[in-house]
Amino acid sequence: MSRRFVINLVQGETYLQKLNGTTKLGLFLIVMVYTMMSFDLRLLLPLFILSWIGLASLKPNYKLILGLFGFIFFMNFVNIILYYAVNQDVGSSYLNGTRTVLIQFNSYWYLTIETLWYLSVRQFKMMTSFMISMVFILSITPGELASGMSGLKIPYKISTITSLAFRYIPEIFNDYETIKMSMQARGLELDKRRLNVFKRLKENLMILIPLIFTSFDRIGNIANALDLRGFGQGKSRTYYCEDPVTSRDKLFRGITILLIIFCISFMVYQNVNHFGMWFPFKI
Amino acid sequence: MKKKSVLELLLGEWNTKTIVAIALGAALFGVLMNYGGITVFTNVKLTTAFLVPVVVGALFGPIPAALAAGLGNVIADTIGGWGYWWDWSIGNAVLGLLVGCLPLYGADIAKGIFKTKHAIIYVVIAVVGNALAFGLITPIFTQLFYGGELVVTFLQANAATLSNIAVLVIGGLPVLYALAARNASAQNLTKK
Repeated sequence: MSRRFVINLVQGETYLQKLNGTTKLGLFLIVMVYTMMSFDLRLLLPLFILSWIGLASLKPNYKLILGLFGFIFFMNFVNIILYYAVNQDVGSSYLNGTRTVLIQFNSYWYLTIETLWYLSVRQFKMMTSFMISMVFILSITPGELASGMSGLKIPYKISTITSLAFRYIPEIFNDYETIKMSMQARGLELDKRRLNVFKRLKENLMILIPLIFTSFDRIGNIANALDLRGFGQGKSRTYYCEDPVTSRDKLFRGITILLIIFCISFMVYQNVNHFGMWFPFKI
Repeated sequence: MKKKSVLELLLGEWNTKTIVAIALGAALFGVLMNYGGITVFTNVKLTTAFLVPVVVGALFGPIPAALAAGLGNVIADTIGGWGYWWDWSIGNAVLGLLVGCLPLYGADIAKGIFKTKHAIIYVVIAVVGNALAFGLITPIFTQLFYGGELVVTFLQANAATLSNIAVLVIGGLPVLYALAARNASAQNLTKK
């Protein structure tokens, strides 16, 4: 295969990878809620540091991670510049409406401390969210994801959808490459310098139509194979990759429950008291 | 054959075939999001992936289409490794639900029934569904999850809306016609 995927297909040997699938998925989901609910640097900073520690413990391919990190940073940075260009007081509406002008470039362009603070925190929040996703993706395998989902009481037909989808991604990818090559051999032009966007869309469709046909032709075979093995007969099912629950799983499940309690109380508290963001430079 | 109720059409038949179809649809969606796209603007790609929920919807119903699009986006985020964008996944699921409504207005791709009337309804739904999913629902969730400046979020969402409409109309119609013609040739027996 010409490109490796970020997600691992075989379980690794590090501490986080050895956890039970249900533990990993539950912890990831609640940490995601934690990131989304908070616009507070005091809450985000510890998580950001912890996610780097978690990433380091997974012994990743740093070249790939840093490349992706830079790409995501740049994309969010462009967003932030756009936010600033459209509304230079964007921070004030989140920070109790105060306005402290830091630099006045001319009558239209100015920079307030509130906007600078708000946009930096937002960038930080997006990067934290990216880091958590990265740690999760690198620590889990598709099989564990499916068993974790069914461990969280999601109907096993839905978890089967995810594990089946991951199973067929490499095959569909190979089909895609084969169809692309055979179409190019028949004279399909895919060079981005020679064609405008709509021509390229049309050429891409020439690959897509056979790809959809071949993929959907498989459905009957796979469904028959599953039916023959008795899929969908029982009310529940078990998974090969279900690890036994160890003491470290209990530790992380305890942390997850504490985080759930914290997130719920934080959201209730925030909605009752209507406080703005934490802002240390208040004058 | 007895006529199906709206709820039955909406849910589709939940047998093994549907589950496999959703799984393959989600996998196709993930692959096409990662490799079959043409980048237009920072967050926005002209991606042919949105044709997958149309096909899943046409053959299996709207709810499977919504699941294929929503899970497909989550899977695309997982294999692409750029972090999870839940706001867009929700928008995709809503769009999948709407464009997957083909069986609800009489188009039956599995039997090769896809006429001009159905094509017009499909185009209208594609335009309205995009406006609803990416013009309204995704910005609301972006605002809820990550905050930000509403005008820019709407602008980006609108760029996505336009490129998706282009893909769904320019790409969707040929795919649906091709699929219908392919299935019709297997069902051309007439009753005497």
